[in-house]
Amino acid sequence: MNNSVAIDKHHREETIEHVHLPLRETQETHVTEATSTKKKPNYELLAAQLDEIKAHIKQKVGAEDAAYIRRIILIQRICEWSGRVLLMLGFVQPLLWVVGVLSLATAKILDNMEIGHNVMHGQYDWMNDKHINSKGYEWDIACDGASWNRVHNYEHHTYTNIIGKDRDFGYGLLRLSNDFRWRVKNLWQFATYIVLSVLFQWGVSYHEMAAERVFFGQKKDNRKNQVTHSELKKRFFSKGARQLLKDYVLFPLLAGPLFLWVFTGNLIANLLRNLWTSTIIFCGHFTGDVETFKEEDCVNETRGQWYYRQALGSSNIKGGNLFHVLTGHLSFQIEHHLFPDIPARRYREMAPKVEAVFKEHGMHYNTGGFLKQYASVLKRIIRYSFP
Amino acid sequence: MQQIKPAWRDGYFRAKVVTVKKLSPDMLEVLLRPESSWPTHVAGQHIALTIEINGRLTTRVFTIASGANTRQKEKQIRLVTKVKAQGALTPYLHACMPNQWVNISAPMGEFVWPKTEKPLLMIAGGSGITPFVAMLDDAINNTAVNQKAVHLLYFAKPNEHVLMDELSAFSKRCENFSYAILTKQKDGGVEAYLSYFANAHWLVCGPHTMFEQVESYAKTINAPLSSEHFAALPVLSDTSLSQSETFSLMHNGQSLTIDNQQTLLSQLQQAEQPVTYGCGMGICHQCQCVKKRGVVRDTRTGELSDSAEQLIQLCVSQAVTDLEIQL
Repeated sequence: MNNSVAIDKHHREETIEHVHLPLRETQETHVTEATSTKKKPNYELLAAQLDEIKAHIKQKVGAEDAAYIRRIILIQRICEWSGRVLLMLGFVQPLLWVVGVLSLATAKILDNMEIGHNVMHGQYDWMNDKHINSKGYEWDIACDGASWNRVHNYEHHTYTNIIGKDRDFGYGLLRLSNDFRWRVKNLWQFATYIVLSVLFQWGVSYHEMAAERVFFGQKKDNRKNQVTHSELKKRFFSKGARQLLKDYVLFPLLAGPLFLWVFTGNLIANLLRNLWTSTIIFCGHFTGDVETFKEEDCVNETRGQWYYRQALGSSNIKGGNLFHVLTGHLSFQIEHHLFPDIPARRYREMAPKVEAVFKEHGMHYNTGGFLKQYASVLKRIIRYSFP
Repeated sequence: MQQIKPAWRDGYFRAKVVTVKKLSPDMLEVLLRPESSWPTHVAGQHIALTIEINGRLTTRVFTIASGANTRQKEKQIRLVTKVKAQGALTPYLHACMPNQWVNISAPMGEFVWPKTEKPLLMIAGGSGITPFVAMLDDAINNTAVNQKAVHLLYFAKPNEHVLMDELSAFSKRCENFSYAILTKQKDGGVEAYLSYFANAHWLVCGPHTMFEQVESYAKTINAPLSSEHFAALPVLSDTSLSQSETFSLMHNGQSLTIDNQQTLLSQLQQAEQPVTYGCGMGICHQCQCVKKRGVVRDTRTGELSDSAEQLIQLCVSQAVTDLEIQL
């Protein structure tokens, strides 16, 4: 443990330096509102309790989880190929085409959420499987896996909801708290949100490049580059082009005279996937009660404080079995942020224990039905459209 | 794909378990039928065997204890192994059912019948008997080589010698082959026997200490020596963290000396090695890499890793043994 603290310090020294640098986004930060004035929990106890929940589940993880992820992958493959075949049978009976679109959309959702997201988090690395691990998996989405790994796994999961560090908070497009100064463009941010949802896979794909200011804008000083800009561009265009070719050229051409049937089918399947994933993800982080943090909060943070920040920066959605699977168990966003590398299906059994621990510490366990959480997100987007 | 062909995996060969049999309280014989595309081994070579244990693919290396001609004739190979109670794989071999599919690698290794005019001296320690049984299995049917005088010194703990009936069958069929069953307790160390075979080509397979004795003796009398030896993993205990120890870290062909006090990531950084990293606390998986061999400790939980190939996170791993990684 000592040693990991040592390296944390090394790492955080960099962070402290950056606080003094003229950052674009922190300059814009209003420090009028203390993010959390509530009584703070006993961080050590909190960390110990959550660690215990994790250790307990970790012991159970085994053959069952391996069989589960393989079964999901099988279902995903079946959905994908039956979907693609059904799209071509649309001329026999248009209903088949509709089923095909839904089937393909389901396949894409399963691939992105329950398989891609979770596998790339390293949840199944213990299996030692060459294909089901965070290094090897590549998903059916415009975003390059490695780029997503950097921005999502590193920035978002380490610096969750720290304004200026976690670009997932508002994606640099939306104003979702008073931490950002109001600008005129925020007036129509609801429309921006709709566009973002529709094009979500491209948003995710462009995310790292936006942060790095590869194409536009002033470069920020606090980003240590791990990958050169030209490499980023290359990966962005090659993965993006491959996805476009696959869905809008290759498969439609294979269908021959049914080009348009397949083309539109793929378009709608991608659209459904984009809307679904963006909605679920927004519900996980931008509901009304989710708190934000300042960069200072993260300096010399203990494990308990990290847990605390993860807990208050996320929100869950209640739902049934199928719903949880289709969200990739991101309906358990709180558990996911506390334990990102535990196989996601285990969040279900962890949730009641986590909730009990939160209660003991007087922490808010942010959960609710889908409609309630989504309404709360929309309210937040609209609320912060105005000064 | 695995629905149609169980255990079908890219980069592995498949093999079907034929039987699993106990040879002695802690020795196990496993017969495998490799798929037909598997390139047949040369007697003395080993394979990596991979089986799924509680969802985890676990790999260990075993010498094939049967000849290439047996594989040609009976389409199967044999592994003979000692079951280690603390082992990652061997305790689970019992549970392998006939007809179950497992994965094996292509045969590897250079420890084979030497091309030499000299007579042979085989020196086996414990389960080091296996490559010799494979070589004899092939040699006995080959008139070109079975004219050569071969003597086997077989050391093991009392009552732990295995495959004795096969050895006696070999010596009955071939008068040029003789062997001695020895125990260190009763018959003394290996050195005492070596001087009688100064003009032979020596082959040694056994524990590291035995190999060292034979090697130093071979040097003094200039006897040609082929060897294969295994270092039993040191018994790992949690107290070892209090003592600072140094190990070697091999990565991408370079070697580095590291200690067991700091994480691998911080030591790689100090050595100014090109390493990708992120959070430094085991969350983001940016510093993840493939560990080829060796054992590491997870700094968060104190858990020890497996000794075979695995993904590890550098920022939360400390060395427990010598390591080889791929950055």
